[in-house]
Amino acid sequence: MTGKERILARIEGRAPDCLPLMPITMMFAGDLAGIEYRGYASDHRMLAEAQLRVAERFGFDYVSAISDPAREASDLGAAVEWFDNQPPAINESRALIHDKGVLSGLAPPDPSVPGRMKDRVEGVRLLAERAGKDLVVEGWVEGPCAMAADLRGLNTLMLDFSDDGPFVEALFDYAVRMEIEFARAQVEAGATLMGVGDAAASLVGPRLYNQYVLPYEKRLIAEIRGMGVPVRLHICGNTRRIVKGMGETGSEIIDLDFLTPLAEARAAMRPEQVLLGNIDPVRALRDGTPESIEAALAECHAQAGEAYIVGAGCEVPRGTPIENMEAMARFARTRR
Amino acid sequence: MPELQKLYDAVLNGDQKTAVAVTQEALAAGVSPMELITNYMVPAMDKVGSLFECEEYFVPELLLSARAMKGSLELLRPLLAASGAEPAGRVVIGTVKGDLHDIGKNLVASMLEGAGFEVTDLGADVPAEKFIAAIEEKKANVVALSALLTVTMPAMRTTIEALKQAGVREKVKVMVGGAPVTQQFAEEIGADGYSDNASAAVGLARKLVA
Ligand code: B12
Repeated sequence: MTGKERILARIEGRAPDCLPLMPITMMFAGDLAGIEYRGYASDHRMLAEAQLRVAERFGFDYVSAISDPAREASDLGAAVEWFDNQPPAINESRALIHDKGVLSGLAPPDPSVPGRMKDRVEGVRLLAERAGKDLVVEGWVEGPCAMAADLRGLNTLMLDFSDDGPFVEALFDYAVRMEIEFARAQVEAGATLMGVGDAAASLVGPRLYNQYVLPYEKRLIAEIRGMGVPVRLHICGNTRRIVKGMGETGSEIIDLDFLTPLAEARAAMRPEQVLLGNIDPVRALRDGTPESIEAALAECHAQAGEAYIVGAGCEVPRGTPIENMEAMARFARTRR
Repeated sequence: MPELQKLYDAVLNGDQKTAVAVTQEALAAGVSPMELITNYMVPAMDKVGSLFECEEYFVPELLLSARAMKGSLELLRPLLAASGAEPAGRVVIGTVKGDLHDIGKNLVASMLEGAGFEVTDLGADVPAEKFIAAIEEKKANVVALSALLTVTMPAMRTTIEALKQAGVREKVKVMVGGAPVTQQFAEEIGADGYSDNASAAVGLARKLVA
């Protein structure tokens, strides 16, 4: 089977020849290819080069255009901080929608005009050209809560929930409309799977998640699936209290961080729901040994059951030893 | 006599308006600022911290409570200063260079403030020079460093090194925290203390300045 066939088989409930392998790599991939992260995040050719290299080196079943959460916000004119060898990040003290009134006058960004969103679209196109036959090509968009936080400032958004619910809904609505178009551009460029990252959603707790976040995640995910590609929902952090809702989003793959035991996720979801993850990226993967990594993944697999894809809880950290990544790859290739 | 328990409840429930109103009434009735802080605000923030630990409260509730407490503190601060009451300690806090995560740091800052420390918050992505300048300007005796990224943890070490270079390391106790930081790491880099949550950070700071 090719990597693409393997992932699709898993998603469609057919038996792959072995476990699919989909760890998130960004800085790790850049380092492996000798590419500074500033270049990785700003030039899709470097990103594609690094993704192709890391996938080939370890036999990943996919390549991804994920790089940092600031692409959309950058194009909208938000203050973004750049670092030489680290992902760019949004400067919250100068948030774009610092003043709520800004929202109503904000036109959604156009992913077809030159900018950081278009750079991702071009990254997807290049990856699809170079590897799309054999590997899944993953596009990436921000989820509603993460995108809202990027624009409003996370600290402020957290207070908005109680101060001004209708504003939060208007902001989430804007975020979803914009991400639908961003996803569409990536699908048209050849993405065969769409990642949705909604990191900030792990902070709000079950009440606010169910009331505000979940309905917008559902809408975004339904729209993307309507474009004919499956979705991978990734929420960093502790999602134990919202994991049930995550299972209701309709996302084909639920990608969990290490703080949520896969057994809990499995208990909260349909038996066929595909789970991805979720060893502790730093303590288990970077700082572990090939033996301990194999044991930790075996535990994940046992907890998740059959509908499982191998990965870490979040991004593979920079500095992860090659032999540790190899151990993860070996685990995937020798299990089913 | 205003019902002071309402101040406790207002902070616990993140109700800034009520917190401010009760504080005003209490001050008008002659209640001392220290009593409000020690008997009502600190216990309320302690409770908030423990509700967070057991996943009853989440970040939004935490930030609401911190805001309520700050609203009340705004009124008390000038009175405390005028009475010549010494703060429990002078803390300079920030997230280290390269790191923009600030929620945990903000919570630690709020809890320390609530516990009677004078807190100078330098924000996120703070270079060592800024810490050094603030230590001297504010006559700080505690420096609190936060980092959420494994790639910015080394900046804690370099910040401590820079404090030494600048000759201010001996003047302050350094405490560190943030999700990836451990007690072991804190010891390795020569910090004076570590804690894994904001309530414990208060106890730690008290111990360090004692
Ligand atoms: C929110 C968030 C963001 C927001 C931050 C917004 C903001 N204003 O803070 C945004 C979207 C900007 C963001 C960006 C990134 N993030 Co982020 N983010 C998170 C997330 C989801 C929550 C962090 C948080 O606020 N936790 C809640 C607070 C209350 O907890 P806390 O900070 O640990 O603080 C407590 C204690 O640690 C302690 N404490 C904290 N500081 C101090 C200081 C002292 C002195 C003491 C005593 C105690 C103490 O007390 C606090 C209260 O109890 C975490 C995942 C998670 N759930 O942990 C990832 C996470 C921290 N991020 C991560 C990453 C990788 C990134 C990015 C690099 C992503 C990317 N590829 O672009 C960028 C980096 C940007 C940068 N240069 O900083 C990783 C870090 C991995 C690692 N170990 O290196 C995490 C763990 C996600 C993951 N699983 O991989 N992120």
